[in-house]
Amino acid sequence: MSAPGLTPVQAARAAERRDRWRSPILYLRLAVVLAWALLPAVGPSFQLLDLALKIALFATLAASYDVVIGYTGIVSFGHAMFFGFGAYAVALAVGRLGAPTYGHLVLGFLAGIAVSGVVAIVVGAFSLRIKAIFFAMITLAFAEFALILAVQWGALTGGEDGLSPKLPGVFAAGAPGAFGLSGRLVTYYTLLAICLGLFLLMSRFVHSPLGRTLQAIRDNELRAEALGYRTFAFQLMATSFGSVVATVLGGGYAMWVRYVNPESTLGIPIMLDVLLMVIIGGIGTLHGGVVGAAILLSARTLLPNLRGLGGSLFAGSEILQRLSERWLLYFGILFVLVVFFFPRGVLGTLREAAARRRGPAARGT
Amino acid sequence: MADVLELEGVHTDIGQHHILQGVSLRVRPDAVTVLLGRNGAGKTTTMRTVMGVLPPSRGVVRFEGRPIHGLPPHAIARLGIGYVPEGQGIFATLTVEENLRVAMRAENAESRERMRRVLALFPDLERFRPARAGTLSGGQKQMLAIGRALVNPTRLLLIDEPSKGLAPIVVEHLVGALEAMKRETTVVLVEQNFAMASRLGDDCYVMDDGRTVYSGSMSALAADRDLKQRYLGV
Amino acid sequence: MKRATPLLVGAALLLLLPLLGIEPRAWLTLTVAGLAMGMLIFLVAAGLTLIFGLMDVLNFAHGALFSWGAYAGFTVAVAINARWGWAASPSVWANAGLLLLAVAAAVAVAFALGVVLERVIVRPVYGQHLFQILITLGATIVLEELIRVAWGPNDQVMPVPATFQGSWDVADVVVLRFPAIAIALGLLVYGGMQWLLTRTRVGLIVRAGVENNEMVQVMGHDIHRYFTGVFAAGSGLAGLGGLMWGMFSQSIRPSMGGEQLIFAFIVVIIGGLGSVTGSLVGALLVGLAYNYVAYLVPKAAIGVTMGIMVLVLLVRPTGLYGAGK
Repeated sequence: MSAPGLTPVQAARAAERRDRWRSPILYLRLAVVLAWALLPAVGPSFQLLDLALKIALFATLAASYDVVIGYTGIVSFGHAMFFGFGAYAVALAVGRLGAPTYGHLVLGFLAGIAVSGVVAIVVGAFSLRIKAIFFAMITLAFAEFALILAVQWGALTGGEDGLSPKLPGVFAAGAPGAFGLSGRLVTYYTLLAICLGLFLLMSRFVHSPLGRTLQAIRDNELRAEALGYRTFAFQLMATSFGSVVATVLGGGYAMWVRYVNPESTLGIPIMLDVLLMVIIGGIGTLHGGVVGAAILLSARTLLPNLRGLGGSLFAGSEILQRLSERWLLYFGILFVLVVFFFPRGVLGTLREAAARRRGPAARGT
Repeated sequence: MADVLELEGVHTDIGQHHILQGVSLRVRPDAVTVLLGRNGAGKTTTMRTVMGVLPPSRGVVRFEGRPIHGLPPHAIARLGIGYVPEGQGIFATLTVEENLRVAMRAENAESRERMRRVLALFPDLERFRPARAGTLSGGQKQMLAIGRALVNPTRLLLIDEPSKGLAPIVVEHLVGALEAMKRETTVVLVEQNFAMASRLGDDCYVMDDGRTVYSGSMSALAADRDLKQRYLGV
Repeated sequence: MKRATPLLVGAALLLLLPLLGIEPRAWLTLTVAGLAMGMLIFLVAAGLTLIFGLMDVLNFAHGALFSWGAYAGFTVAVAINARWGWAASPSVWANAGLLLLAVAAAVAVAFALGVVLERVIVRPVYGQHLFQILITLGATIVLEELIRVAWGPNDQVMPVPATFQGSWDVADVVVLRFPAIAIALGLLVYGGMQWLLTRTRVGLIVRAGVENNEMVQVMGHDIHRYFTGVFAAGSGLAGLGGLMWGMFSQSIRPSMGGEQLIFAFIVVIIGGLGSVTGSLVGALLVGLAYNYVAYLVPKAAIGVTMGIMVLVLLVRPTGLYGAGK
């Protein structure tokens, strides 16, 4: 069979690949990555480093949630649960099997991925056939259940007090040598590399033919089915993928924070955080997670400093004092406003504005 | 005599899909106007646009001279337009009587009198009055659906594919019922069953790809084999 | 009526099996406690299921209304008790008066909040499930934080009228008073709702709307008024549930709504969307199972509710009384 030239799709993709190197967005992204990589050299404060890595971890987590909710269109409240699985798996493997080694670390990650994969497939197979609202509620119920299980099963999980794993080898002791990196910094760069890798993986996934099929399913499930795609299989694959990514990130979180307990890794607060990040950053944009994570986590670290201010300003009235303390209240209001007026989030609105400027011809379907 | 219903250049979108791309039609009073066309031509969408379930993106819909596009469905219904949708829309968990009562715009003596008349017109419904509507046969459900529309004083009746899925003998009964009704009210009928359409219809419009492509009298269309072949594939 | 037989058999099994492992007197106490807990959950679930069934709205703010009802009732109860001492008083009339006024406050406040929520927050995102979830979640956060601002973040002790505390001694069996009252109240509410739904025109239209709200509109009924009404009524019920729960556990805290909401969701799933009877059956099931299991194997109690939900979904994916939507 002779091919006279490239098909329209192949031609379009080749053009895309060429243009990619000229796009300013690419350089923006490279700059961000560079900033994160050079941070330890520039900023000595541990608080800043901690914030930066948490932003990286949660940005990737938010992106993985975006794959499920934004690209595949499935509302699930179980995502934090998979994050927790990863955190606990690593913490247990490294903490409970004797002196920590690299092998244990790897085992922890693999075990976490295995458990998450199985649970994701079971929950998915069971629930994806049901109406969307049901699925959302069922995942919520399962997540609550996982939390309670973690608290009750103290023998394994350390109950409410949690686990405090110690890391093996280089991650604890550091890597002396040319750069003289402390254990902390080794962990920092390893996790940063993992986040970057996962992000790229997700980006490829979303832009692959598989990813595009998922978007088609999200936009019009009936039509996709009519076209012959087994929507159920695709949706299952996407949710499992997102869950596994979340698991890996959970393990990374355990490595960095070195303290794992039910509230901080499995609970509704994490789920809400991730949801907020995706919404504020922009659903369906993948990179919106970075914006969302940066905003939310920075606010959370900086705002407590303002609390003291409120205390001294409104020393007379208790209600006013409380009003200035409860920053979550303002976040809730902000959240509602964002959903109302900027449902596409920061990145989504920007992208839409850019597309409108380029003109109707540039807008695809 | 003024037209009961008038559509002019109506466009309707469902999501990103531009379904209606210019529908224009006029419905004469006290006549049966039939809307014909292949599957997916946009007939049901047209009905739903008239009822206000879907807002038109362009164009005008007028009922007895006044524009009704943009009004919510319940306001349009209260102007005196009855709607029997495709698939009947029967409330399966309610009884036959409850179905009729819900359909009443107001439950008063006049509506109850009309309900009595509907039950007289469709003896099957009288028999199954206290039964759950979900247990009725296909034909009975269709009777109930039409009966519901008649419980109110109706100046315009929109009926969407009443014969769908019904056995021929039931369709016969249905045609009889509709013939009895057509003398009292103006009817717009969407129907794929051409035989039935030609027996009941006075005027007709043919739709294709979201547009009205032919209008004329029913008898003229029935006689023209080329037209029928081109637009309806019969 | 066909569904009644397997259900009665199942109910009999559920009630009688535990007798094998629990001695009769403890069983009776547990059963009363279980039914009471079930009734309180029913109050929350009933509104939730109708809101789902009629409006197709996932209302996460329901828990916040539960909390607000509790706090509103609490404020009234504390104020009345401080002024006239009706809670501590031995007079049944004073006690009943306090309870009624607290109930009225709880229902009224929750109802009003419900109206505001429906019109301002829910109506604009009608039809878009994801945004409904998000916006009601946001509203919950705001409402819960406002409680913390107005009343402080700590637990508060709820004054319970003297006559309703303690227990009755019926033939050597200890029957706790407040749970018994909760059960009576629950039955009253259920009876009232059934009457409203089956014997009034409004109820008829709501039942039709739960099945197909587009059809109801096309028949000339302004469905949005019914939406607001059902949402507000459901909110009022949640508020009532919150107050009763506050008295049941004798303390209230800002997060109480969120904690109970998950139970309510599970019950709605078990019972089926849109069915009040389903919520009742599901709630009683959950309440009883929880109490029996908590007595026998404390740690497994929470797992049991999940287990029941999973079991029901495997057998009937739309819930026990689901309309198959």
